[in-house]
Amino acid sequence: MFKKIALMSLLTIAARGDDWKIVKPSPDLSYPRDHGAHFDHRTEWWYVTGEVAAATGESFGYQFTIFRRGMIAGESRPGESALRPRQVFAGHFAITDIKNSKFTFAERLRRRGAGLADAAEGSMHAFLENWEIIKNDGGPIRVAASDAAAGAMIQMDLDPAKALVAHGSGGYSKKGPEVGNASVYVSFTRCATKGIINLNGREFSVKGESWFDHEFGTSQLGKGVAGWDWFGLRMDDGRELMIYGIRKVGGGYIAESGGTLVDRNGATRVFTKNDFSMEVLETWKSSKTGASYPIRWRVSLPSEKLNFEVRAKVKDCELDSRGTTGVVYWEGPVQSSGDARGSGFMELTGYVESLGGKF
Amino acid sequence: MPRFPHVPALVLRAFVIRPVLRRPWRFIITVIGVAVGVASILATWLSSRAAVASMREGAVEIAGRARVEVTQPGGLLESELYRFRPLADRALIAPVIEEFALAPKLKDTIRVLGVDVLLDRKIRELDVIFNPLYAAGNLERALAGAGALVPEPLARELNLEAGGILTIHARSKPVEIPILALLRPRSVASAWNRTIVIDIAYAQEIFGRIGRIDRLELLPRIDNLSIEDAGLEITNLESRAREAAPPGARVGRPNERAEQADRMVQALQFNLTALSGISLIVGSMLVATTLATSVVQRRSIIALLRSLGASNLQIATAVFFEASAIGLLGGALGVVAGVAGARASLAGARTTVASMVPGVPATELYIPWWAAACGVALGLFNSSVAAILPLREAMRTPPLQGLRRERPAFLSKKAWLLASASLVSLCIASYLLALAPALGGLPYAALASSFALLVAVVVVASPALDAAARLGVSRRFITFPMIARAGLAALSAGRSRAAWAAGAVGMAVALAISITTMVGSFRETVFDFVNQTIRSDVWIRPRTASTGVHVGRLDPEIVNIALREFGGDVVDPFHETTAFVRGEPISLCAGEYRVVQRAAGLPFVDGRDPKRVFADAIVNNSIMINEPLSNRFGIRAGDTIEIAVPSGILRKRVEGVFYDYSRSQGMAVLDRAEFLQLYPDDGPREVAFFLNNAVEAPAVRSKLIELLGGKFEVDILLNRELRGQAMEAFDRSFEITKALEIVSRIVAIVAVLTVLFALVDERRHDFALVRALGGSKLQVIGMVFTEGICLGIISVIGGFVFGLLVGVVLVKVINLQSFGWTMRLLPPWTNILSIACSVTFVCGAAALPPAWFAARRAPRELLQDDV
Repeated sequence: MFKKIALMSLLTIAARGDDWKIVKPSPDLSYPRDHGAHFDHRTEWWYVTGEVAAATGESFGYQFTIFRRGMIAGESRPGESALRPRQVFAGHFAITDIKNSKFTFAERLRRRGAGLADAAEGSMHAFLENWEIIKNDGGPIRVAASDAAAGAMIQMDLDPAKALVAHGSGGYSKKGPEVGNASVYVSFTRCATKGIINLNGREFSVKGESWFDHEFGTSQLGKGVAGWDWFGLRMDDGRELMIYGIRKVGGGYIAESGGTLVDRNGATRVFTKNDFSMEVLETWKSSKTGASYPIRWRVSLPSEKLNFEVRAKVKDCELDSRGTTGVVYWEGPVQSSGDARGSGFMELTGYVESLGGKF
Repeated sequence: MPRFPHVPALVLRAFVIRPVLRRPWRFIITVIGVAVGVASILATWLSSRAAVASMREGAVEIAGRARVEVTQPGGLLESELYRFRPLADRALIAPVIEEFALAPKLKDTIRVLGVDVLLDRKIRELDVIFNPLYAAGNLERALAGAGALVPEPLARELNLEAGGILTIHARSKPVEIPILALLRPRSVASAWNRTIVIDIAYAQEIFGRIGRIDRLELLPRIDNLSIEDAGLEITNLESRAREAAPPGARVGRPNERAEQADRMVQALQFNLTALSGISLIVGSMLVATTLATSVVQRRSIIALLRSLGASNLQIATAVFFEASAIGLLGGALGVVAGVAGARASLAGARTTVASMVPGVPATELYIPWWAAACGVALGLFNSSVAAILPLREAMRTPPLQGLRRERPAFLSKKAWLLASASLVSLCIASYLLALAPALGGLPYAALASSFALLVAVVVVASPALDAAARLGVSRRFITFPMIARAGLAALSAGRSRAAWAAGAVGMAVALAISITTMVGSFRETVFDFVNQTIRSDVWIRPRTASTGVHVGRLDPEIVNIALREFGGDVVDPFHETTAFVRGEPISLCAGEYRVVQRAAGLPFVDGRDPKRVFADAIVNNSIMINEPLSNRFGIRAGDTIEIAVPSGILRKRVEGVFYDYSRSQGMAVLDRAEFLQLYPDDGPREVAFFLNNAVEAPAVRSKLIELLGGKFEVDILLNRELRGQAMEAFDRSFEITKALEIVSRIVAIVAVLTVLFALVDERRHDFALVRALGGSKLQVIGMVFTEGICLGIISVIGGFVFGLLVGVVLVKVINLQSFGWTMRLLPPWTNILSIACSVTFVCGAAALPPAWFAARRAPRELLQDDV
C-alpha cells in the first residue's frame, strides 16, 4: 500500500499543453544562435561523447549530456513564480575506465531557475548546478562536470576539427511518420580534445577526440517505437559515420532510420534505412536491470562500400537514469573493425522499457 | 514445637505489612503526596515539552537528511543562489519555503513546507499513501502544479481525504489546496502530523515570496562515510557554504535552528519546572513526616525486634522497604496523574509558548518510556531521601530493656537559638543570591534564593509550633476552652512530626502565594501597559488560532486599500521580521513613526514623553528598543546598536528604551520606510488606525469590512475589543502557572491529611485516656480539630510571609533575569486572602476525618491496640 515518493518518470510523462513548437522541414538555423536553447520546443540536449588517453597509458571513454525538458508550454501567468517547473534540466555524466573495464556514472535533475540550472538562448551555454557546457565565440567547447559521490570529474576543451554537420535535410532529422516526429540535429563529429579526468582521486591529463551533438524537437518518437540504436564512429581514415536505427516494438527498424557519413573534408552524405543493415552478433545481460543489450554488431552500408563490425570496449556501460530522465540505457565506447576501422560511441535505448511517445 | 518465623520476614511483617494493612489511609495519603509532587513536575515538563516539540524536534525532523542550511532574515534571494553552484559536486542543493498558516477548520496552525518536489525525495523520505488518482508519476506532476501532500492524522482530524480540498489562510487570504495524497508520519507525535507539503513555486505564490526562499538545504552527496568522515564532510560543506553565501546570510545546521528556538523558551521551561519541583520537595517532606511518625509509633516494636536479634541493617531495610513502597507507588501514580495533568495543561502551555514564538504548530503529547521511568525513579528517590531522618531515629532505638516512653517537652533555648540563627542565615543567603546575576540567561541563583526562603518556612515551623504550645499552657490563656488548650499543647507532644507537616503546608502555601503574587503583579502591570499603549481606534490582524495568537501576515494589498481609503496620516502597518544582534535573534519591527507619534502611548523606561521621543527619532533617523533587548545586550538610550540585516550591518542610534511585555527575546522598532528598504514587503503583522476622531471608529470598521470582506480573512477590532483580547491572551498564557497554584493547594490538603492522621495515630493512647476519663467523642474531635486549625494557621502565617518574599524574588529578579522585563510588585490581596483562608479551612476540614477516626474507636480497643 505504501509508495515512496518517486519522481523518476517525471521527465518521461507527456508534458502539459499542446502548444510546443514542432520541428518542420527546412528549419531556419543560424549559428552560433542555434547552439543555444530552444525553450519553445519540448525536448533538447547537448551531448558530448569522446575517448581520451593519458600519457601514462590509461584510456577513458566519457559522456556528458545536459537534457532539457519542457513541462509547461506557453507564457507565464502574472504573479507566477520563476521556480514553476516549466522547464526541467537533467544531466548525465559517465566515465568508462577502459583498461579496468569500470564504468562510473552520475546524474542530476533540477528545474530551470534560481541560477542553478539554465541555458542561454543565443549561444551554447547550458548548465546544471556545477555541470556546464559552454562555447564562447571562436573558442573551444568547454565541458566541466564533477560528482564527489561518484568520485569523478572531467574538464575538457573540445576543438572542432570540422564544420558543424547538419544531419538529415539541413538539420531536419525525421524520426517518425507523423508530423512533428522530427528533430533538429547537428554535430561536431570530430573535436580534438584535451583536459583533465579525475577518477577516484587520481588525476590524469588526457588528450583524444570527441563528438558533440545538439538536438531539439517536440514529439520525436512516434507510437510503436521501442527505442533506438545509435552509433557515432570516428574512422581512422578521417571520416565519421553516424547511424541510428529506430526500433519498432515488434522488432526491426522504422523507415525513418538512417545516418550521415562525413568525409574528410566535411562533406556529408545522408543515407536512409534502406541503405544499411545491422546484425547483432553478441549481447550482454545486465545483472542490475535484466536487460539484454547488443554489444557486438555487424553493420553493412553497401552504397559506401562499408562492411564492418562494432564491438563495445567495456560491456557494462548501462546508465540507470530512472531518477532523472526516467530511462535506462546503454552508452559506451566502441571500436570498429573492417572497412570502417576506428572508434566511437554506441547508444542503445528501449531495452528495459519502451520509449515510444516519451521523446 | 512452635516455629519462629525468619527474622527479616518478622521485621517486614511487623514493621511494614501489618501497619500498612491496619492503617491503609495513612499509607495511601502519603503515596498521594509523593504522586502529587511527581505528577506536578512531570505534567509541567511533558506539556511544555510537547508545546515546543514541533519547533525543537520539528526543525530536525522536517530537515530530513539535510545537514547544512543557509538562511537569511527576510529570505534568501533566488538571484543569489548561483553562488552555491560550486558546492553541487559535494552536496544536493534544495531550496525550501517554510511558513505557518491557519487552518480555519482546525482553528490552529499548520506548517506549510514548500519544497522542490522534483528532488526532495533525496532529502525527505515520505511515506505517501498510494492514491489511484495519481499513479505512475502523475502525483509528482500534479504536485509540481498546485496541490498538497497532507498528513493522515491532520486529514483525519479535518475529516478530509485524498481528492478533497484543504483550506488555509495564507496572508489572510483563503487558499483552497487540492489534497493529492496523504502522508503517513513515521513516528508518534511527529512534527509531520501538522505539516503539509507543496511545491516551492506554489508556496512562493500563495505566501507572496516570489523571488525568495526561506532557506537552502544542503545534503552531502556522499552517504557511505564513517561517522568521523561524515562529520568532516559536513564541516567542510559548512565552510564552503560560508564562503559562497551572500552577505547577511547565515550558515548552520538544522539543529542550531532548533536550539535557537529552544533558547527562546528555555527560561519559561526552566522556571516552570523549577516551580513544579517545589511540589516534589513538599511531597518529600510528607514522606519524611509519615515515616518519622511511623518509626516513633513503632519504637516499642523496633525495640522488641532488636531484643529478638534484629540487626540495624534489618531495621533499616524495613524502613527503606516502606519508603520504597511509598516511592514506587507514588511515582507510578504520579506518572499516570502527570500524563493526565499534561494533557489538561497542554493547551495552556501551547498558548504560553505561542505567545513567545508565534506560529508553532501543535504536536500530540508523547510520553517517552524513559520519562515515565524517570517519574517512578523520582518518586523512589524522593521517598528514599526522605527516609534518612526517620531511619536515624529507628537505628537509635535501644532494645526493650532500655526503652523509655517519649515525653512531651518544649523546645530548648539552644534549639530556639539554632532555629533563629538558621533563619537569619537563610534570609541573608536568600538576599545575596537574589543579587547574583543570571547564569547563561537562566536565574539559577534567584531560584536558589527562593528555595532558601522556602526552607526558612520549614525552619520556623518548629519554633512556631513550640510558641503555640506554650500559649496553650500559659496562664494568660486560661480562659480558652480546655479542648482548644489541649489541642494546642498536643502539638508540642508530636512537635517534630507536626513541624514537618507545618513546614510542608507552609511551603505549599508560600508557593501558592508567590505564584499568585507573580501572576497578579504581571497582570496588573500588563493591564496598565495595555491601557497606556493600545491607543489605536481600529485594528486589523489575521485570524487567530485556538492559542489566541494570530498566524501569519496580512496581504500588502490590505495596506494599499487602507491607505487609499483613509490616507497615510491614519494608517500604521506594523511589520516584523527576525534580525540578529551579536549573533542572537531579535524581532526587528517597524511602524509609521509619524502616525504613532500623534497618539503615542508607549511608556519609556526613562519616563520621557513618548511624543518627544518619537519626534527625536524622526529627526535623528534613530531606532527604539524594548526593555528586554536593552537588558539582554546592555544597550541603553543614546547608544548605537548594530543589527545584522540582509544588506549588512545596520548601525542605529537608540532613541529610547520602552517597556514591553510581548517579546522577551528583544525587539527593535524602525520607521517603516527604512524597514521596507531593508526587507521586501511581505505584508505587515497587523495594521492600526489612529483616527482623528475616535467616534468614527465603528464607521471605519464598517467600511473596512465592506472593502476587505469576501477577499480577506481578517479580524477587525475596535480599541476596547483589542484591549479585552490582549488581556484574554495574557490570561491564557498564564494558565499553566495557575495550574501550579492549584497543585500547591492540593499539596497543602494532602500534607495536612497525612500529618494529622499520623499524629492522631501516634496519640491514640492519649485519646483513649481522655475517653476513659469521661471525655466525650465531641471533645476528642474538638482537640484534633484545634490541632488541625492551629497547624493551618501557623503554616499559613509562615507561608504568607515567606511566600510574599518569594513573590518579590519572582517578580523583581527571576522575571527580569529570565525575560528582561520590569514589573511592579502588585500582590493580588484578594487572591492571597483566599489562599490563606482556604488553606486554614482545609486544615480544619482535613482534621475532621482523623478526628472522627480517633473518636469512633472504643477506649478499650485503643488502649489494647499496640503490638
